Amino acid sequence: MSAPATHAPASGHELEQSKFWIFVQLAMLLAVITGLELVTVYLPFMKWILVGALVVLSTVKFMFVIFYFMHLRWDKAFCTILFFIGLVLAGGTMWALLKLFGAEASKPLTLSSPAAIVRTVA
Amino acid sequence: MSSTAAAGAIDHHHDSTTVTGIPNKKLLMWAFLASDCMFFGCLISTHLIYRLHPPPGTPNARDVFSIELTSFSTFILLMSSLMMALAVNSIQKGNLKSLRWSLLTTILFGLIFLGCQVYEFRNFVFEKHLTITNSILGTTFFTLTGTHGLHVLIGVIWLTIMLLYSFTGRLTEKDAIDVESMGLYWHFVDIVWIVIFTAVYLLEYI
Repeated sequence: MSAPATHAPASGHELEQSKFWIFVQLAMLLAVITGLELVTVYLPFMKWILVGALVVLSTVKFMFVIFYFMHLRWDKAFCTILFFIGLVLAGGTMWALLKLFGAEASKPLTLSSPAAIVRTVA
Repeated sequence: MSSTAAAGAIDHHHDSTTVTGIPNKKLLMWAFLASDCMFFGCLISTHLIYRLHPPPGTPNARDVFSIELTSFSTFILLMSSLMMALAVNSIQKGNLKSLRWSLLTTILFGLIFLGCQVYEFRNFVFEKHLTITNSILGTTFFTLTGTHGLHVLIGVIWLTIMLLYSFTGRLTEKDAIDVESMGLYWHFVDIVWIVIFTAVYLLEYI
């Protein structure tokens, strides 16, 4: 958390100056990570490794943006808590829906297999 | 008024006049963004669920998407976030000239992103024959990315109004919270795109 500017004006000015370079360096880093994501999808690895790598890379980008560009790093913790409540609810809903609809029993029945429909209904 | 404000220095992150110490406008924006997370979470889930079990006749997304164009859009939106962060930094230092240039660049990047999206949508509809009504992929894709595009458009309009307002002479260092709230909204649009880029586009190429 940053100290009020009145108590340390010099350090406050330095913080503002350093923020500029932090933002510029961060933008470059985000561009590099985006490039890495692009390369990742063409790598000849197992699917779960690639999906995991993409999730990690996009999470890193996400966190950098919210903590630096959105100032959560320098703001009161309450802002972080408030935002993460929404984020956790959204993530939980996504996880639950994907689990539910990813189950074998959730596969939609097609008219191309009437025998399967009869078995399921029975 | 707090002694900090009376002394002329402005603490941009904390406001001693509120119970939480956070300016009300910023708190409102964070609450809104938290709720918007759930909104986009549902849209992204819907898209992914239908991609898990695509009905027969669904077009192959890899044949439809253009990863080069989407990567360029992603880069542009990331750079617009940088310019927005610099705009907030400028108003906090009371540098109006720098604020205007940063806002203008952010608007331009936002417009380029929207232009890319319009081009992509036109290409999908007229070249690839993917519309919002002729397949589940089209329905979920256009709803999700269209809603995001609408958010970008609202952001661009907000940025333009702020840019014009800065020329009236009424925008000062003390109004930094207004620019900061707008910045939060713009960065949120960026983080939503970070998720969409991975979940909707890149996963199709694995």
